[in-house]
Amino acid sequence: MIQLMDVHKTFTVKDKKTRMKKRIEAVKGLSLTVKPGEIYGLLGPNGAGKSTTLRMIAGLMQADLGRIEVCGIDNRVEPEKARGMVGYLSTDLNVYARFTPRELLRLFGEFQGVDAKVAERRGMHLLEKLQLLDFADVKMEGFSGGQKQKVSIARALLHDPKVVIFDEPTTGLDVLTAKTVLDLLRIMRSEGRSVIVSTHVMPMVDEICDRVGIIFDGALHGDAPPKQMLESWGVKTLDEVFFKLAAQSAVEV
Amino acid sequence: MRGALLVCKKEFMELSKDRKTMFFTFLMPLILYPLLFTMMGKLSQSDAASRKGKPSRVQVLDPGQVVAPLLRADAKAFEIVAAPPGDVKQAIRDQKLEMLLEVDAEAAAKLERQQTFGLKATYDKSDDSSKLALSRLKEVMTKQDKGWVQARLKALGASTDLAVPSRLETADAGDMGLFVGKLLGGILPYILMLIMFAGSMQHGIYATAGEKERGTLLSLLSTSLPRNQIIWGKLLYVFSIGLISALINLLSMGLSIGRMFTAEASHGAATAATGAQGMGSLAALANPLILGLTFLLMVPLGLLFANFIVMMGIQAKNTVEAGTAIMPGFMVVMVMAVFSMAPGIEKLAFLPYVPILNVSLAIRKLFSQQGNALEYAIAFVMTVGLAGTLTWLSTRLLNRESALFTV
Ligand SMILES: Nc1ncnc2c1ncn2[C@@H]1O[C@H](COP(=O)(O)OP(=O)(O)OP(=O)(O)O)[C@@H](O)[C@H]1O
Ligand SMILES: [Mg+2]
Repeated sequence: MIQLMDVHKTFTVKDKKTRMKKRIEAVKGLSLTVKPGEIYGLLGPNGAGKSTTLRMIAGLMQADLGRIEVCGIDNRVEPEKARGMVGYLSTDLNVYARFTPRELLRLFGEFQGVDAKVAERRGMHLLEKLQLLDFADVKMEGFSGGQKQKVSIARALLHDPKVVIFDEPTTGLDVLTAKTVLDLLRIMRSEGRSVIVSTHVMPMVDEICDRVGIIFDGALHGDAPPKQMLESWGVKTLDEVFFKLAAQSAVEV
Repeated sequence: MRGALLVCKKEFMELSKDRKTMFFTFLMPLILYPLLFTMMGKLSQSDAASRKGKPSRVQVLDPGQVVAPLLRADAKAFEIVAAPPGDVKQAIRDQKLEMLLEVDAEAAAKLERQQTFGLKATYDKSDDSSKLALSRLKEVMTKQDKGWVQARLKALGASTDLAVPSRLETADAGDMGLFVGKLLGGILPYILMLIMFAGSMQHGIYATAGEKERGTLLSLLSTSLPRNQIIWGKLLYVFSIGLISALINLLSMGLSIGRMFTAEASHGAATAATGAQGMGSLAALANPLILGLTFLLMVPLGLLFANFIVMMGIQAKNTVEAGTAIMPGFMVVMVMAVFSMAPGIEKLAFLPYVPILNVSLAIRKLFSQQGNALEYAIAFVMTVGLAGTLTWLSTRLLNRESALFTV
């Protein structure tokens, strides 16, 4: 179970040219709920605030305002416990390339407080599902991007998290590997976990998401099953929703 | 604390995968110092021995045969050689012979008449063996002159002491061991401090800004490990690396110096007396207490360095930026260390209260056996206090997400 209640996040950056401080409101009053056994798809253009939202749910960042709960745990009150419930994956995250997948998974098992034997068994099981078992004892320095991504996925799911957060999980993967990942997400759903993914790949949304939310400029525009979303906007594809939103905001400006 | 230890263990595991870095950090100093000191010892020994052992080749022009017999008598020191072909000076420069000695043709007659006769030695001032030939000649002539003077005095019926109104005797109050200790005490803190800083700097950058750059820090932060513990783990790692480097260098240096002088003392029998005396203080040099006290002082200093490095490293966007941020710190340490080597610096009254500098001063005094318990204590307590404050500060500072998420 994931619950966001009126969450805000602002970054302060410095404009090199004007030498002025600039406030970026990355997330503005976002509320959403992901139930157990549900896959939630977060859509939105670049810089809309998807990654920021997911990072806050994962407890990597704190919200400025509002509340975030995972499995009923407020991640501001008990950050460590909340993080322990979450499996987080993102494209700007990498593996410790000097290790082999087995060494890495064993290590993260220890970090997450999982029994060494259990961690190893679970890790190998995940690698098998991701078709990477043959490389379990090969140093990751020579791994391709996709192979590293697979190890990261195994790492994220190692401690049996109740909440799964995948930020653009299929970016850079070939269609076969992407399908493997989607299958894995379906299994996660069937096991009763709450899954939230962000993506730019529309067919993927149609295929696996039970509900989608469209983020635009830090705020949520619609939160419904994909079919319903299309009907309410009166369009045929989700891409068209984007175009409509962009046109709307252009008018507002 | 479990989390910090786990993170530290991870860092060491990563390090252990990199054989090259391991070698340069841990094994290199173990090999380097013994090699350096043995080579230095061997070189100076063999050089001196070869020069002392060989007779100097001298061409002698002595028609009266006054000086030539004296040289011929001392076959160990002189070998009389024939005139070299070509220019003699060039031959001396080419080390074909060491010296040309021209004796006054009238020497015998002048000696008879109790007059002064002249000798002219041509040698190469820039060449050690040529200089040795001259000093050997001077030695022989001084001795011979004394004999001639005494004979002349006797002939006059005067006391042989007439020409010797006074005689100066010198005794060396200095002690070879103390001298080396002073020398070593001057450079040792410098070397140790720089090695500790430089050693932990490389690994510190790798474990902080490097993790950010490689995108692995996020995966570490997403686990249930508390943030504090991640920072402490990194701190512990950088601190340990610095200490291990310092310890290895200190031990390796101490041992190889100890060995070099033991070898030297058991060498030449002539220097046995001074050698044995020097050994007393040299033993103190490799004295476990002095080495131990030095190391003890390096502990809080290492923590201070580690804090600075981790603080700068984790706030930087990438390794290059981290290097740029840490370098000024390295410069400060270097300047302070060089400053502490300046002669007469220990007379400055405020020195024991300047952080870092007081550590280097205390080590310097330990090695020149002027150890001052109060100054040592001040240096220790100050550094511990400073290191503790910095740890507290860096934990607070680095806990902010702006430090961890500068993209
Ligand atoms: N650490 C940070 N410091 C400053 N600004 C940030 C930071 N992280 C995100 N932002 C800003 O917040 C806004 C939202 O970024 P975010 O990464 O959440 O977008 P996104 O929806 O994931 O985009 P994309 O599809 O490109 O991944 C952007 O304007 C970004 O510049
Ligand atoms: Mg993103």
